[in-house]
Amino acid sequence: MSDRHSLRDSLLGVVLLIGIAALLGAVARQPAAESQGRAALESLSSLDQQAPARRDLQIQTWQTPGGAKVLFVAAPELPMFDLRLTFAAGSSQDGEAAGLALLTNAMLNEGVPGKDVGAIAEGFEDLGAQFGNGAYRDMAIASLRSLSKPELRQPALQLFNQVIGQPTFPADSLARIKNQLLASFEMNKQNPGKLANLELMQRLYGSHPYAHPSEGTAQSIPGISREQLIAFHQRAYAAGNVVIALVGDLTRAEAEAIAAEVSAALPQGPALAKMTQPSEPKAGPSHIDFPSKQTHILLAQLGIDRREADWPALYLGNQILGGGGFGTRLMEEVREKRGLTYGIYSGFSAMQARGPFLINVQTRAELSEGTLKLVQDILRDYLAKGPTQQELDNAKRESAGSFPLSTASNADIVGQLGAIGFYDLPLTYLEDFMSQVQALSAEQVRAAMAKHLKPEAMLVVTAGPQVPQLPLPPPTDKPAAQPTGIPEH
Amino acid sequence: MNVTVRRVLGVVLGVFCLPLAAIAAESQPTHEFRLANGLKIIVREDHRAPVVVSQLWYKVGSSYETAGQTGLSHALEHMMFKGSRKLGPGESSRILRELGAEENAFTSDDYTAYYQVLASDRLAVALELEADRLASLKLPADEFAREIEVIKEERRLRTDDKPSSLAYERFKALAYPASGYRNPTIGWMADLKRMNVDDLRAWYRTWYVPNNATLVVVGDVQPEQVKALAERYFGSIPARPVPTAKAPLELAEPGERRTTLYLKTQLPSLLYGFNVPSLGSAKDAKPVHALRLISALLDGGDSARLPARLERGEELVSGASTWYDAHARGDSLFVISATPNVQTGKTLQQVEDGLWRQLKDLQDNPPSAEELARVRAQVIAGLVYERDSITSQATSIGELETVGLSWRLLDQDLAALESITPADIQAAARTYFTRTRLTVAHILPEATAHE
Repeated sequence: MSDRHSLRDSLLGVVLLIGIAALLGAVARQPAAESQGRAALESLSSLDQQAPARRDLQIQTWQTPGGAKVLFVAAPELPMFDLRLTFAAGSSQDGEAAGLALLTNAMLNEGVPGKDVGAIAEGFEDLGAQFGNGAYRDMAIASLRSLSKPELRQPALQLFNQVIGQPTFPADSLARIKNQLLASFEMNKQNPGKLANLELMQRLYGSHPYAHPSEGTAQSIPGISREQLIAFHQRAYAAGNVVIALVGDLTRAEAEAIAAEVSAALPQGPALAKMTQPSEPKAGPSHIDFPSKQTHILLAQLGIDRREADWPALYLGNQILGGGGFGTRLMEEVREKRGLTYGIYSGFSAMQARGPFLINVQTRAELSEGTLKLVQDILRDYLAKGPTQQELDNAKRESAGSFPLSTASNADIVGQLGAIGFYDLPLTYLEDFMSQVQALSAEQVRAAMAKHLKPEAMLVVTAGPQVPQLPLPPPTDKPAAQPTGIPEH
Repeated sequence: MNVTVRRVLGVVLGVFCLPLAAIAAESQPTHEFRLANGLKIIVREDHRAPVVVSQLWYKVGSSYETAGQTGLSHALEHMMFKGSRKLGPGESSRILRELGAEENAFTSDDYTAYYQVLASDRLAVALELEADRLASLKLPADEFAREIEVIKEERRLRTDDKPSSLAYERFKALAYPASGYRNPTIGWMADLKRMNVDDLRAWYRTWYVPNNATLVVVGDVQPEQVKALAERYFGSIPARPVPTAKAPLELAEPGERRTTLYLKTQLPSLLYGFNVPSLGSAKDAKPVHALRLISALLDGGDSARLPARLERGEELVSGASTWYDAHARGDSLFVISATPNVQTGKTLQQVEDGLWRQLKDLQDNPPSAEELARVRAQVIAGLVYERDSITSQATSIGELETVGLSWRLLDQDLAALESITPADIQAAARTYFTRTRLTVAHILPEATAHE
């Protein structure tokens, strides 16, 4: 029973963000530890001028005759491959039937001609292959991981192509999965963080398709019919509406053959229309009464879409404010100096249409009002003054240094390819983004953050018990060294 | 899709060896050595990308703690980030962040471990700071006073306000009557409230010595290079005797234990746990490997017995899963959790009956050759897939070593599992799935408490 969890996973289960770990450039590196005036680690000094190396991906791309975009990276080191299909078939395409996209995605492997759900599972598992699926707001995913030896690969792909192309959507499976979803909605009721998130998205998006949860609601799910699933699959799982990402022990010719077969197996049709933008929500607080020990606090406003030119500046600006764990202003002030919380995070979800900007924290209920005010003060101050030069330099170094981690494994790479393809980014996106980040000034970051975020425009949702409030403890008077990392310790 | 999350089997099981196994056969070059002060070092080369993971594992965790002192190992883990001779409070994290590293730590029953994932040219920094806090942790009282509040928030977030965790904590305390495995890793709230920094200083002095640690490095490195760096930063830290840590042993058949918990949950669920051995406590490994195969037969994939028979076939449960940790210092638990399908009106009693039908089937009938072949195929593929992640590889190595087993078991595991016969599986099911070894928890919504 490892006591290891990732709080960040729960921050926003909205969309697969590109692992913004970031990129490199010819960055002149400076000693990292001089700021404390302490006996620095000797190992740091030898790193001064070294630029971090990274894996050379050599992304290849082409289009199938059916209109699917393909991105491929050859990785012959391990005898395996990853195939990941990203469809513009997320819950923003649900229309009136909230949960339709997720149900369709979840039903893919429940039946194909001649095989029921058990036979499909056995088919993959007999080969040691792993089928995966998932539906989010913008996208729906179907993936396959398999050994690359042809006698294992071919049957795994054949079954995969049936699953994505010829799902039969059996009625008994549909009833069972609906029941599982209804059970999960009941489970949500015991989770104050989840309840707060649902309320927040509803308030943030109003009548926009991002407002409802991808998994639908207890009201919407029962009425969704098999015919609706069939129609949705025909329309949204079309060859023109998918990006095929492929990484592994394959030649270009093999990858081309696989992509062509995948594309041909899908319904033939065009890409769906892009999402419209949401309109500005009404700011202010709302509260959900919940008998927990802690109060969950969410602050949010509409953020940006994936085409936003300010994205590198906002990414860097958020890293300093509350992105990625220890060492951020929010973590420093709320956890490290005052011990108010286990974790506090902020982040933009850059989506097809404007995704949310969100700050997320939990604290003991009797300190929740003081904590909320503290967070609002930190945000207001940061938006007014922007980052210090030291904060900016540190954040740039971090971005450059973490670049090799973002493409270290096949799993990492296939995720990057999926995002690059889905959001129509150039193949040089990772490098471009990095050089843009490295070129930013503190003033550019301040201006971008101040342009996109307004303290008075924030929606606030709290969930917790109503208890008499106490004043916050005083902060530590020490000039704090900034800690960092992923907050699990 | 499953609404419940199902574990990937490859992580649970180890290795195999058949036509398929040729694919997985060649494992990466792995090197083992020990410094004069007793620090054990294991290096596995993986040159696919210029990155490396470094993990330092200490043989101490919540099962080492005594009553009234629960939560010490985990609290010490938090305080390891609060300053040492060369590092101010939080500074190690700041340095690593600026280098673009992912870093953190985790505590469990049997171990406490610290890790960094970073560009391989920066490995020296990870080792130097890890050595510094092993040798010279400061444990300032004012930092502790704040950090213990953070830990209480962590407990409220992850246990007190989370019914499934709270239920498991209570269940575990009942299921382990004799050993330290009953302790919650985060500690009981009453113990957190009375913990002081002197307790942590004593705990640190007792267990944080090089001869009680294992350094695991996996990635784009050469063994000579790691050895030289380890010698340089860890070599001068003196060894000290550590107390004999006795393996947590349980009563073999404590008798049936049942509890009913009324929590802030909407749906009923149940936990089943049988007291069983692990590789660390068993004299004969055969029943342990048989139990691992049973876990895979029941819950090793969407075609396994619990999802195929109880979830889809009978529609008895909306989800069910098994969990068995064979890699422990002492005795273990074979855990089954299940949620009745309330839409079809199923009760906890019906779920219990259904689970027993499955357990009895394992006792009475040998598994089919097809089922075993399917488990084998997944294990072999899982071995290859695990090599895609340097962190998974390091964690497997570090965990085995820290519970007193050898990382070489990873390479021998396939053969060990292959040697298990259908009769061995039946025998293990008969021995271990008995009422006298069973703990049951019924978890019910609070509102039903007075009905």
